Amino acid sequence: MNPIRFPYARAVAGRTAAGELAYLPINLSTASNSLDLSGLLDTGSTVNVLPYTVGLALGLIWQQQTVPVALTGNLAKVPAFGVIVTGQVESFPPIDLAFAWTQSTEAPLILGQVNFFMEFDVCFYGSQGIFDISRRVNDR
Amino acid sequence: MSLTELFPDVMQLPRADKFRLMQFLVAELAREDGVSLLVSGAEYPIWTPLDAFEAAETLMQMLGNHRTAAS
Repeated sequence: MNPIRFPYARAVAGRTAAGELAYLPINLSTASNSLDLSGLLDTGSTVNVLPYTVGLALGLIWQQQTVPVALTGNLAKVPAFGVIVTGQVESFPPIDLAFAWTQSTEAPLILGQVNFFMEFDVCFYGSQGIFDISRRVNDR
Repeated sequence: MSLTELFPDVMQLPRADKFRLMQFLVAELAREDGVSLLVSGAEYPIWTPLDAFEAAETLMQMLGNHRTAAS
């Protein structure tokens, strides 16, 4: 399957041009709920991060989580649990995505090295404000 | 008070105060335009969990267990 191209986008209206970043439209789903979201492609992030409110909207129950994960930076201050949800980008086949579900309500949805960038190859054309995404080589 | 009346007083200010006045005006204009500027000494959130290798290991184990259970 050929790469799919996306434009950079602004997370919040009214920010400067530098606020345009690689936000990827992605569908996340659990057994009970499905949401169309926008995730920040963050190559510096070691893990995927799921904001608290998004986890709740997906039907996840905080009190039932059993696998704590230790985050770093600003997110080190709040608890987080590991969760697995199904992610689908455009017409690519759905995959399992593991997230650190943080209790923070301010953090964005972050798509990081584990395991988004293990599943997808991404080519950034920052000067043109676009990026291409394709499935990892052995799944094309 | 008009700008013309202000100028003589502004010119009397010490260099440091002129600089502070300039910073104030820039911040004021940015605030009016709805643009938030970085402020010295303030704390800004950086959400990227950099080098969260322990969390990465935990998530990888979860994925492995999940795939084993599914197969």
